[in-house]
Amino acid sequence: MSTPAITHPSPSNEELAGLGTAPIPAGPYYRADYFELEREAVFGRTWLQIGHESELPEPGCFIVRPLEFARASILVVRGRDGAIRAFHNVCTHRGTQLVEESGGRRPLFSCRYHGWSFGLDGELRSAPDFERFYVEKSRCGLPRVAVDVCAGLIFVNLDPSPAQGLREFLGPLAPQLETLHVARATGFSEYVYEIDANWKLTYDNFQENYHLRFIHPRTGEAASGPENPFGYPEKYGLHGLHRTQTIWTNPGAVPKPVQAVAFGHLLRFLSPADLGSVYAKEYFALFPNFFLFGSPATPFSHCVMPLGPERSRGVVRLYWTGADQCASQRFAREYSMAVTREVHAEDRAVIEAGQRGLSSGALEHIHFQSHEVLCRHLFHSVDARVQAWKAGRTAGALA
Amino acid sequence: MNDGSRLPAGFEALEPFAARWAAESAAERDRLRAESSEAERIAFYRAGKDLLAPALASLDRRPLGELDDREQCLLNLMLGFAHVAIAVEVQGDLEEQRARLRRHLRITRSSADL
Repeated sequence: MSTPAITHPSPSNEELAGLGTAPIPAGPYYRADYFELEREAVFGRTWLQIGHESELPEPGCFIVRPLEFARASILVVRGRDGAIRAFHNVCTHRGTQLVEESGGRRPLFSCRYHGWSFGLDGELRSAPDFERFYVEKSRCGLPRVAVDVCAGLIFVNLDPSPAQGLREFLGPLAPQLETLHVARATGFSEYVYEIDANWKLTYDNFQENYHLRFIHPRTGEAASGPENPFGYPEKYGLHGLHRTQTIWTNPGAVPKPVQAVAFGHLLRFLSPADLGSVYAKEYFALFPNFFLFGSPATPFSHCVMPLGPERSRGVVRLYWTGADQCASQRFAREYSMAVTREVHAEDRAVIEAGQRGLSSGALEHIHFQSHEVLCRHLFHSVDARVQAWKAGRTAGALA
Repeated sequence: MNDGSRLPAGFEALEPFAARWAAESAAERDRLRAESSEAERIAFYRAGKDLLAPALASLDRRPLGELDDREQCLLNLMLGFAHVAIAVEVQGDLEEQRARLRRHLRITRSSADL
């Protein structure tokens, strides 16, 4: 029996969301002045995914993450009380970067310059010859950064007084994320890439399927089929600043022999909670720069961090629950990571080609079709914040 | 037994590939794939595809921490086979071009390396 054909009408929520159909200006995808505005209006005051609780299993465990767009380094620590705290990674004496490792476990953090030592709670514990200073120790704690956790994912916000808490920011997606495999993960595989491309251009590639058949002719075989040759999603969801798509897979796709072995073993080890997930086909796009795929078999996240107007870094993780139990599970996880990386490698190259074209300044506008509605939504979401920031700055100058 | 074999009994057909492909980290296994010739990949794939399931079943009989040297070598070989199978089964004649794209994505952590 053949599979009933599905239709792929333009997303009906496009007009409802007020996104329109107009061309999108090309400048924001390469101009340095626009990026400077984004740094302040978006990344400087938004919850950003920066890590996972599994990286901080015990008190004293820490991670350090660079946020190049802010020229900042963030230290995230699990305290003796079990709480996760985040700080700017700077000694409060004279600003020396405090921790150089990317992660580890310590009872306290000592500055190599003059020996100031800070507790896991960020408080200054000791400083040599401190009686000669003109300040109280209680005023020398590490600068705090807002931090919160949802679904095991650690988010920080560089705004000293965030306009919203993380839960409010995520809205109705927060309880959905909490049901996903990532919320129970105890570890992950990871690969990292840098790319000569604007963060939005990079991110957009991963929220439209129009390119699948051209860029992923082999690796994307299961994601398209005769009844859906472009592999368009089954549906889209717009959730304030965030987006979702429900991916379509070809029910008639025949896996390659080794692929079938690997994915068979992946499924074999899934928990009842994973097997019963109603979000297994949901692809979450959290504003501004984070993706999370709900599939418990390939539960990957993808963070696209801006490094400059035409430079970004992608961090892709496949989250696992429990250490590898046996050879079959280890094989399945290795295969899954390798094949996901295969797809992203194909994407990276064509994104850079897109950036070269845009950066030439040859185009005033770019065009999004109806199934690129999520790209359109990202631009509108970013630009609304940028314009509001500019307006506020102008009003402040006139006041 | 000290017959020079690297692998457990029953997997002699894979012995010619053990020295070449049984690497200890995911990044190293990816590097070996990237630096291999099509003939090397196809030879390994043909030898390994029917032995993958028996190898995993054999290794699954013991916890990972209790594998002896030959079993560990067989596991590393099968993990390398995962990479090679993608090259042969999925990418085919695109593999060499795709290898150039993959080198920009650095594997920093794998569950197998922990």
